[in-house]
Amino acid sequence: MARDKIYLEEVFPSPFMQLWMIFRKTPVAMAGFSCFIFLVVLAIFGPLLAPHSPVEGQLDMILLPPAWHSDGNVSYLLGTDELGRDMLSRLMYGTSLTFGLSFIVVLISLVVGVIIGSLSALTTGMKSSFLNHFLDVILSIPSLLLAIIIVAILGPGLSNTVWAVVMVLIPQFIHITRYAVKEEFRKDYVLASRLDGASPFRILYYSIFPNIVDRIMGQATMAQSAAILDIATLGFLGLGAQIPMPEWGATLANGLDLFYIAPWTVYLPGLAILFSVVATNLVGEGIRHALKLRKER
Amino acid sequence: MAELLKVEGLTKSYQSKGFWFNKTQPPILDSVSFAVKAHKTLAIIGKTGSGKSSLAKILVGAESATSGQIYLNGQALKAGSYQHRCQHIRMIFQDSGTTLNPSLTIQQLLDEPLKINTPFDEKKRTELIRQTLQKVGLLGDHMNFYPHMFSGGQKQRISLARAIILQPQVIILDEALASLDPSLRSQMINLLLDLQQQMGLAYILISHNMGIIRHFSDDIMVLSEGKVVETGKTLDVMANPQHQVTQKLMMNQNFQLRSKKNR
Amino acid sequence: MNLLDIRNLSIELINEDQNILAVDKVSLSMKEGEVRGIVGESGSGKSLLAQAIVGVLNDKWHVHADRFHWRGIDLLRLPMHERKEILSRDIAMIFQEPMACLDPTTSIGEQLSEAIDDSNLTGFFWQRQKQRQAEAIKLLHKVGIKKHTACIKSYPHQLTEAVCQRVMIAIALARKPILLIADEPTAAMENTNQGQIFRLLASLNQLKSMAILLISHDLENITHWTHTITVMYSGQFVEAGTTDQIFKKAMHPYTQALVDSSPMANLHLPAKSRLMTLPGSIPILQHLPIGCRLGPRCPRAQQDCVKSPAVSNFHGHKVSCHFPLLTKPNRG
Repeated sequence: MARDKIYLEEVFPSPFMQLWMIFRKTPVAMAGFSCFIFLVVLAIFGPLLAPHSPVEGQLDMILLPPAWHSDGNVSYLLGTDELGRDMLSRLMYGTSLTFGLSFIVVLISLVVGVIIGSLSALTTGMKSSFLNHFLDVILSIPSLLLAIIIVAILGPGLSNTVWAVVMVLIPQFIHITRYAVKEEFRKDYVLASRLDGASPFRILYYSIFPNIVDRIMGQATMAQSAAILDIATLGFLGLGAQIPMPEWGATLANGLDLFYIAPWTVYLPGLAILFSVVATNLVGEGIRHALKLRKER
Repeated sequence: MAELLKVEGLTKSYQSKGFWFNKTQPPILDSVSFAVKAHKTLAIIGKTGSGKSSLAKILVGAESATSGQIYLNGQALKAGSYQHRCQHIRMIFQDSGTTLNPSLTIQQLLDEPLKINTPFDEKKRTELIRQTLQKVGLLGDHMNFYPHMFSGGQKQRISLARAIILQPQVIILDEALASLDPSLRSQMINLLLDLQQQMGLAYILISHNMGIIRHFSDDIMVLSEGKVVETGKTLDVMANPQHQVTQKLMMNQNFQLRSKKNR
Repeated sequence: MNLLDIRNLSIELINEDQNILAVDKVSLSMKEGEVRGIVGESGSGKSLLAQAIVGVLNDKWHVHADRFHWRGIDLLRLPMHERKEILSRDIAMIFQEPMACLDPTTSIGEQLSEAIDDSNLTGFFWQRQKQRQAEAIKLLHKVGIKKHTACIKSYPHQLTEAVCQRVMIAIALARKPILLIADEPTAAMENTNQGQIFRLLASLNQLKSMAILLISHDLENITHWTHTITVMYSGQFVEAGTTDQIFKKAMHPYTQALVDSSPMANLHLPAKSRLMTLPGSIPILQHLPIGCRLGPRCPRAQQDCVKSPAVSNFHGHKVSCHFPLLTKPNRG
């Protein structure tokens, strides 16, 4: 039956929709969110859209400044580096490396952390404590140091940095999941579920997870900005992405020697890192702010 | 009429944690025994700390007793076997705001006990949910709403729907009517009375409000510090309380009633 | 002279899409030393009314009134800060969950001494500390707490709800108010404790002739302790009069329904029979009925009820209904 909206209908959304509607009303969060989506799209389609190859350079176009300078060339929009590689293409490929990898890193550590955290919350006593704290020793080691250690053992490479950053992020997710699940367990509806005869996993999946997903998402965005910075830093130090991979930190390190003659090779990757970290942080802040407002209603 | 639920010598004591816990605490429940028949309501009263909530939790299976037996239709119930127990004994909590999961629709909420305990397919389950909602006075369409869209009285009705959907025989009302406004309370009482008639339920009512107890219950049991101090038919006990604790509880109620008669 | 005289107070909630009239032209008057009860279920606006009198509503609520007199002073003409000064000096308020209203990180003694006004203390400043303590102990004795040393040192979570409510009353009494507004003070307590708190309030009323505005959702509970009662429904004024008039000769169908749902009235009903109730439930703020808000549920509703009824006065018994129950119901 087709119905036109003649009357002012009362709209009662689900808790997720409520969160989304509050999020939509904050302009700063929406700006951050659109930048985030832009980066995600770039990370997926960047390799297809980049005008030039990021690794092969044209040796006759070395160190061209960006197109808005008088010496610049419009087909190399953001200039070239010392080997004639187009900066724009390098940055676009770099998005899928730095940003995309950080996304995957957060996803892996989220899944592992949530599983261990839920197990820790379901058990009690020694087992629970053990699961909660056995990865805490990693929290005490700075991520860079851990990466250096892993690189020293396994050798440099992007996959090794990924392992290092994953290891560092897992304990945070364990703690936050365990705390959230324990808090939910105290609520009456979980008791009602248990009395219905539901197994603990069923309770976890149907009753508890829908209520803690938003908190975990807030934590995930914070972890992602840390991951972006870690991957870029390790790339900068030469421990992560190796030449000639166009990862942002590595690109920045490359340009450092030429800073006085070709500053764009330094500030462009730097701006890219800044942009992605700010976008991620704004999305995270928006989620946390919306969560707080939704609780107040 | 055969006894539906029989409890014998239920005791629950604090679990001492090793050597440091030297103080002897009195047990939470001390040899509590009673029986409930179908179509009847048993009211349990007592001060806070007298063990009423622990008794309710033990009956429904959320906690286990240190000793004692619970017989349902002659069969002994084992602790921890929720699946068998939940089909016969259900509970309605006090605070309706936190007993409903805010992220699930009513349909999902009521589907859960059905999915776990009955072999019905989806169509039959939806139909059963719709019928149950209509029985408690809500519309069938309400199953698509979220809990925060309902008022307090409606949330208690949903809790009641969740309790009766498995066709139980005993329902425990743990202060379920205390937080409602008086007019909603009367509506809820009428609904409970109707359901008792239709489904042959036995209620165990834990409450402070003597007016409801007088109207709603057949038998009454007074708990004090874990022990049963007085039992009997409600009207008899309320007219002639024997034990000191009962007398104190009744005096408060009668004080209000008697002084009004003198106005 | 009336202590408090409010005429046609309305509280409106201004939203982007609609204006909601949460309290619709309610009138209230109190004499000195009177205990008045305001009875209404949830959504009746009684807490909003109390907060509007004291002046603690936030900016999203707009309050208008035709008349708002306090002891003869017209408060509507005064600027905001003067109004607040007068009201905070003479009116005190206690709330529903006393343990949540006390600061959990400070001891009771500190909170009590904080509430004591400097002007009540005489003497030089080095004597003030001792005087403050003496005054605090005196206040605790006034509310019936005898073990004052233990009480002053303890924190709110170590005391029971009833004792916390007494402490709240003591803090309210520190400024020697003329009117005490009690917003559902005993909602979270058992019967025995409720009786204690009400007895305390009654003794304060008799000994110090302090007026009390008692807000509750349970009509039957407060009829023993009040002189006059005002009944509200969904933000509208329903009925007002002496306790006797309201309880025995209710004129509005809603008041009659409230009286019917109290245990006292049901004493003569056989056990486990159906209680008399109004069908339906309280309207939510977004969908308030026009005119008399009881219209959809009222058994005596007719065409005229879509217009707001005027207040009729029968020997001090005020009703707001087009078709009041003028004949006395037969009580067996």
